[in-house]
Amino acid sequence: MFTILEKILLITFLSSAISFFLYHLYLRLSIVFKGKGSFDFDNLISRLKRLFDEVILHKKVISKQRTIVGFLHLFVMYGFIFFGLITLNHFLIPFDIKLFSPSFKLNYFYFVGLPWAILCLIGILGLAYRRFFIKPKFLGEKSKTSAVVSLFIFLLMITYLYDELHLWNTLLQYKINWWLHSFVIGSFLFLIPKSKHMHLVLSPFNIFLKPFDNPNHAPVPIDLEASEEELDNLLLDLSRLSKNQALDIFTCVECGRCTEVCPANRGGGILNPKYHFILDLKKPMLENQDVNVVDKINVEAGWECTTCQACTEVCPVGNQVEKADEIRSFQVLSTGDVPQEYQKLLMNLQETGNTEGKNSSEILKELPEYTAEKEIVLWLGCFAKHAMDPNFIKSVRNFTKILESASISYGVLSNEQCSGDPANKLGDKLTFQLLMDQNVEALKGVKKVVSMCPHCVVNLQKEYQKYHEINYEVKHHTQMIAELLEDNRINITPGSLEKVTYHDPCNLSRTLNETEAPRKLLQASAPNFFELEEHGKDTLCCGAGGALWWKKDTGEGRTHLLRAEQVIQSKTDTVVTGCNFCYGMMNQGIGPLTPSNQEKIQVKDIADIVAENLSN
Amino acid sequence: MILVVLENQRGKIHPFSVESVVAGQKIAKSLNQPLSILCVGDNIDPIHESAKQFDCSELILASHPLLKTYSADGFSKIIVDLIKSYSPKYCIFGHSYMVRDYVPRVSANLSIPFISDITSINLSSQNIQFSKQVFNAKLSSRIENESTNGCLLSFQSAAFSADELIKGAPEKVTNFEVQLSDSDIRSTTEEEFQESSSGVDLSTAELIVSVGRGIDNQDNIPIAEELAKVLGAELASSRPVVDMGWLPPFRQIGSSGQTVSPKLYFALGISGAIQHVVGMKGSKNIIAINKDEEAPIFEIADYAVIGDLLEIAPLLTEELRKR
Amino acid sequence: MKIAVLTKAIPSYESLIRIDTSSKWIDDSIVNYVINESDAYALEEALKIRESLADNSEVVVVSMGPEDKCSKIIKDGLAKGADRAILIDSQEKISDPLSIATLISDCIKDEQFDLVFSGLQSDDLGSGQVGVLLGEKLKMSTATLAIETQIEPSAIRVKRELESGWFQWLTLPLPASISIQSGINNPRYPSLKGIMGARNKEVAKLNSNQFSNNKLQSMVELYIPSNEKQTKKIEGDSKSVVSRILEVLKNDLRIIQ
Repeated sequence: MFTILEKILLITFLSSAISFFLYHLYLRLSIVFKGKGSFDFDNLISRLKRLFDEVILHKKVISKQRTIVGFLHLFVMYGFIFFGLITLNHFLIPFDIKLFSPSFKLNYFYFVGLPWAILCLIGILGLAYRRFFIKPKFLGEKSKTSAVVSLFIFLLMITYLYDELHLWNTLLQYKINWWLHSFVIGSFLFLIPKSKHMHLVLSPFNIFLKPFDNPNHAPVPIDLEASEEELDNLLLDLSRLSKNQALDIFTCVECGRCTEVCPANRGGGILNPKYHFILDLKKPMLENQDVNVVDKINVEAGWECTTCQACTEVCPVGNQVEKADEIRSFQVLSTGDVPQEYQKLLMNLQETGNTEGKNSSEILKELPEYTAEKEIVLWLGCFAKHAMDPNFIKSVRNFTKILESASISYGVLSNEQCSGDPANKLGDKLTFQLLMDQNVEALKGVKKVVSMCPHCVVNLQKEYQKYHEINYEVKHHTQMIAELLEDNRINITPGSLEKVTYHDPCNLSRTLNETEAPRKLLQASAPNFFELEEHGKDTLCCGAGGALWWKKDTGEGRTHLLRAEQVIQSKTDTVVTGCNFCYGMMNQGIGPLTPSNQEKIQVKDIADIVAENLSN
Repeated sequence: MILVVLENQRGKIHPFSVESVVAGQKIAKSLNQPLSILCVGDNIDPIHESAKQFDCSELILASHPLLKTYSADGFSKIIVDLIKSYSPKYCIFGHSYMVRDYVPRVSANLSIPFISDITSINLSSQNIQFSKQVFNAKLSSRIENESTNGCLLSFQSAAFSADELIKGAPEKVTNFEVQLSDSDIRSTTEEEFQESSSGVDLSTAELIVSVGRGIDNQDNIPIAEELAKVLGAELASSRPVVDMGWLPPFRQIGSSGQTVSPKLYFALGISGAIQHVVGMKGSKNIIAINKDEEAPIFEIADYAVIGDLLEIAPLLTEELRKR
Repeated sequence: MKIAVLTKAIPSYESLIRIDTSSKWIDDSIVNYVINESDAYALEEALKIRESLADNSEVVVVSMGPEDKCSKIIKDGLAKGADRAILIDSQEKISDPLSIATLISDCIKDEQFDLVFSGLQSDDLGSGQVGVLLGEKLKMSTATLAIETQIEPSAIRVKRELESGWFQWLTLPLPASISIQSGINNPRYPSLKGIMGARNKEVAKLNSNQFSNNKLQSMVELYIPSNEKQTKKIEGDSKSVVSRILEVLKNDLRIIQ
């Protein structure tokens, strides 16, 4: 059927397409492997499960807000997968190699090929319609590659059906159809590596290799006694991405969901994670053939980030998007370029060990001091110690009330320094280290720590481990109270509060992976509580993260008001939260934003609502 | 004798100088010393005219073409020469930007102390005690002059009120021969200019409605504008409102803006941070509206309204319109 | 070009200010000493000028006061990029600006600085005079409230801030002593390299012992200012508040009929 010429043409075409594809894949992978650190293969079972969930079950692609789109994409992806065998068979035809029996092929057609061709067509037409007619903002500008790909997939399905349904009459028609199909597939191989369609190849690997910690920024250990050469190496390193980050950039499918959920972007800022944290870095990486591209991240955008990890949470191809840590560290440590309002904050931390520049703390004096006989250290954090929202002191007292009713002995450390979270998030790793080293010393011999501030927990638990050997266990207070409830050391009777909702703090729900403990407690004390639309791991950051609490009065934009607005719109009477910063932001936002015909919403911490409903 | 130096601000006597005359009159009376008032500059006729109403022993006129544009070299030399001539016990100024610029030169040249930015004086003590604010106005200090060769003083705006000025006429007028040559002045000064295009001089306004951050939103600014309009008042603001771009810079009142002392200062949603307060504490009457009862503005307000300006101000405007 | 920057250690804005038992100073034990705000702007301006000249110009940080308080801000200045420092150790609390200026000028006159930058005023005693006094002592030309500078080969052009939104440019021949207004630039934060390099930079220590106590003005005492104002509260719902205000405007202030 096929002439020698045709076979030679086919082989030439295919081998050049495959070589092209492999070459560009190799180029990119070699850049990835220049990245810092190494890929992790720990927890293989969890990794495989995650791979299954996100790729096979498409759990992230088919999210609540994007169910239809998610399914359309599912059809296309499965179409591709199932067409693997069909494509193989297709290219063996000119060489008269028959791998499958006619009956197998027939069955495959009826049960797999035909249904999936139709579904795939529906999928690709639906997606093309959305991209070119509905034009969602976050997909970005008109994409020529997408147009071509849509056309390609469409043609592939059509040519397949044309062939299988025997719509051809002459050999010529058959061959034209066959060559068209082959041309499209070969062209695909030319198209994929330099476009976002690389995600086809890379995303399963990227998802598999994605670190479990979120965020997962590399520590920056600074030795003040280091030589000039060592210091230069450290600074050079700051400009380099990790292997995971480099792979992320080549895997990015440009869907724009990261930007869509970003609180800074939604608040009117310039930060656009899709470009600033990912795509802006692609070309420089390819030009340098290296990963030293941190200085290409837009600095202003970097300072706007609340580090809430919503971008990473929503990414369907396994990217850890946020790179504020990297650009900020670069700015602070290499250049000394820090916005003025943050300079004061960092100086306060250096001078007084707390963010507010204070020399003493009222609540610290009130609470019992920790001694070795006490069960746990109650880690207060700067927010509580210096009454950054004076109302929160009540919540601290409510928490101690809960501890006392469960007969838990606790104490505070008089030499507690700031956990260092603001310095860490701002990129001032030196000040962070100063505070961390002091705290690790103060915590020597301590076994258990509990804190009401998720930022403190994240640092004491996860960040400190990157630099020191940690021998204590840290819990968030909601986790501790939930345990007490489960162990029957406290009892809660449901209260009479109507219309209660819960705001998930981003550090708690995403970084610490904790959405259940607060809900158990809410269920027990206010069983009628309802969920906000963006809840759990999809929560919308209150706007105080990334040290932005200290910029909210001087900055522009509405990042710090978005969540308060949502809470008001939910028409709840009470909003409960599990983080002192969220608590403070709710109080700050709710006052000015509540319309005059609405009652002001009450803000409570989990400790408040539990303490109010404690029973014996 | 006691000498008061009048500053020429674009053809008028600087308001701070007028207030310093009051200080001079009080000190002269207390020490039983004659009071001399100095008009210094290039074209000092307008100043001279106004100064003729001040009750004092002597009006000294010192003019020279080289004083047409300000220079620290020029002005400090004149005052040094004058002090050498007259040996006043106290040489008094208003604490203006110009005084801050050249009077320390006089102090160092003659090795006499310059007690600056005085807020009040105690005439009953053995040696006059001068008070000034220190540590961001959290404290005040009492200072005494220890020199026998004279002392320079400058008074903060509104330390004394121009209302207390004793009117009268100078007993005599003296012309002081100014020795000044080009080589004395090392600097080259260019013309004064304004950056924002506005002729609104809030410092002469009788009534001011001023907004702070409590206005919350750019969209609410008209609330203040309407109230100002119906009262016939000028509109002003604290720094954050200008920083956000809600009002132009010339409306800013405070240490980096204008200093005002109107009959009525209506403070809407202003917290009362010191940088703002120094610009308006000379106001005769202050009505402050703020949601926060702990706001520092209430410490200097005559009338404290603890409430929501977004509700109260429009209602007030409406009522005023009806009259 | 040699540029000196006068930097003073003063209590931080958040520090608790309490008068000590002598009534002549504050209780230092509860206070954090930091660099005076406008001095930080002065230092940044000096560093920017050195960078713009791109020759072997020097920026020297000069600080006078108790050694333990000054050494911190000197280290910070060196970390930000100053080339060397002069620390004048003085344990005594000097409040007379002329004495301070005389002392500093005695210590630095041999250096023959082309420029001396200082902050507009210090946030402790705030006389705002030392820069100008020192300039006169060293026979330099002077200017205050600079919000922009332009360096020329043997002169400096300065934009002075005047009252009520007016400004003025003037050109001063070098040597000159200029006091710098906050907000003139964006002070840098010390980079890591800067912090580590600061350790190797020269800090000349001078003692104020030869200083004779020649105070021409003395601070007799510190006191807490009393609030003499009688504030009248106006409370209630919006309607009654508004009527009360109208009453005040009409009867008390006579602003409306």
